[in-house]
Amino acid sequence: MDETTRTVLQRVVRKVPATRLREVLRTWGRVPARQLDLLDFSTSKFVLFEDVRSLCEVNSALTELLMSLFHFIGNPAQGVWRACHLTEPDVELRQFKEQFKARLTELISNVSVKIKKHDDEAVWIRIAWGDHFHRPNQLKPTYVVHHLQTPYVFVYNLSTKHKPLLYQALVLATRHGSMKDSHLSGKSLTSIRDFLMRSYQQAFPTKYARPLQEKNTAPTNPNIEKEHAEQEEKRLQLACEAFGEGNVPRLETATYKLETRYRGSGNETLNNREEPFRALIKFSSANLLVSLNHCVSAGMAETPVTPLLSSITQKGKNYFVITDKGSGNSSQSMVQKK
Amino acid sequence: CLTSTQLVENEEQFQKKLADVIVNAEKDVSVGVRLARRLPLPVENEETRPCIDLVVFIINLSFERSFQSVELSLKYVDPGFFLGKVCFLVTGARCWSVSSDRLQSVRKLATSLRCPLLYAEDQTVEGVNTAAARLLRVLKVTAGLTPWATGLSLSTLTRCTLSSDLEGDFD
Repeated sequence: MDETTRTVLQRVVRKVPATRLREVLRTWGRVPARQLDLLDFSTSKFVLFEDVRSLCEVNSALTELLMSLFHFIGNPAQGVWRACHLTEPDVELRQFKEQFKARLTELISNVSVKIKKHDDEAVWIRIAWGDHFHRPNQLKPTYVVHHLQTPYVFVYNLSTKHKPLLYQALVLATRHGSMKDSHLSGKSLTSIRDFLMRSYQQAFPTKYARPLQEKNTAPTNPNIEKEHAEQEEKRLQLACEAFGEGNVPRLETATYKLETRYRGSGNETLNNREEPFRALIKFSSANLLVSLNHCVSAGMAETPVTPLLSSITQKGKNYFVITDKGSGNSSQSMVQKK
Repeated sequence: CLTSTQLVENEEQFQKKLADVIVNAEKDVSVGVRLARRLPLPVENEETRPCIDLVVFIINLSFERSFQSVELSLKYVDPGFFLGKVCFLVTGARCWSVSSDRLQSVRKLATSLRCPLLYAEDQTVEGVNTAAARLLRVLKVTAGLTPWATGLSLSTLTRCTLSSDLEGDFD
């Protein structure tokens, strides 16, 4: 072991409190586990250091530095962290614009592309598609909105024919590996954006019940008393945890495509089929999250909220494909991401 | 004077409106109104719960579940209450889309239990006020505030009966 590595190792062993040292050494991975168990961590640091040093398979100073890094990550201790801010990302936007236009025109000639950056860091792209024989159709453009710092892209009016071309161009222009469908759709762009990025008021599971005063709209007469007030509060809390509260983003539909076996009672012919019973269940509402919240808080849907419904907010999707999973003994179907 | 009534309604809509009117109507009698969706009532409230003078089951004829919920809740009512301290309040009876079967079932139920069956209009302010006034009159009797009547005698006079003619008399 050369001098620098020895010093670094000595310093680390000295600085790390004895209670944490075992953990740090284990994370470091340079001391075999068996021998780590045999080490006595209650001895003095000097003795400990000699033991550790003899057990190490040391190759370079880099490993010691890594060890001190692990320790620092686990205990970012006494100093002060400062925040900084990257500004003027125009270079990135210019590159994106050039790349995207170039890629798309490579893939399909006769296409008209206009790119504009909005105030709120969103890049709007308008694409009119044409082909070898026709000029770009300006009456049915596709709109694409992308926030450069996020992996999200929102697409409007894109036909299946042009989908792979657009995806390809975007993937290459943003230097990502691939692009896939998020299974989330809605009428309002701001709503689905807020929904996806979870920038709406969420309720988090709390040990203490929310104070009743918050939810009473008007002071009620003390003579009126609700028997099930506690359960009502619990239901409301669970509903808000599952679907948000206050001004939630407006979703219009939630669709479940079932590809499960039929498991009802009574209908013999449907029960014994081998192939799955295909069905499509669609919930629609002017404001879906508020409706579902009301279903749960009013007691119409049972609590705890079934994961089929809470997946809407948990996964940020409103289109699900549900298949049977596992062997026949379980009668629950699991939600699968497509 | 303190009286207390328990309103049980699965939809929890009409009971709120009724409660607001009831507690504000009476000046010389203090009326306590307790609201619940169904029975049984939670055990935790037993200590603080006053003696209930009248239990009102509110059934909305537009919802099948409303009636089913009341049927299930009835099991949890102490038999002593049925001697004049239980009454049924039905809303939505005028609605043309409601099948007459449902109303018939409710009437059968009320008749079998020998309880009065009241009809109420829950969509208008006058309807709510009228229903509240009727309930208050019944409540005053069952609470013993009317000297010449008891709950049992009143319910004997006003209890629901089934006539053979489907269009028959309304209580």
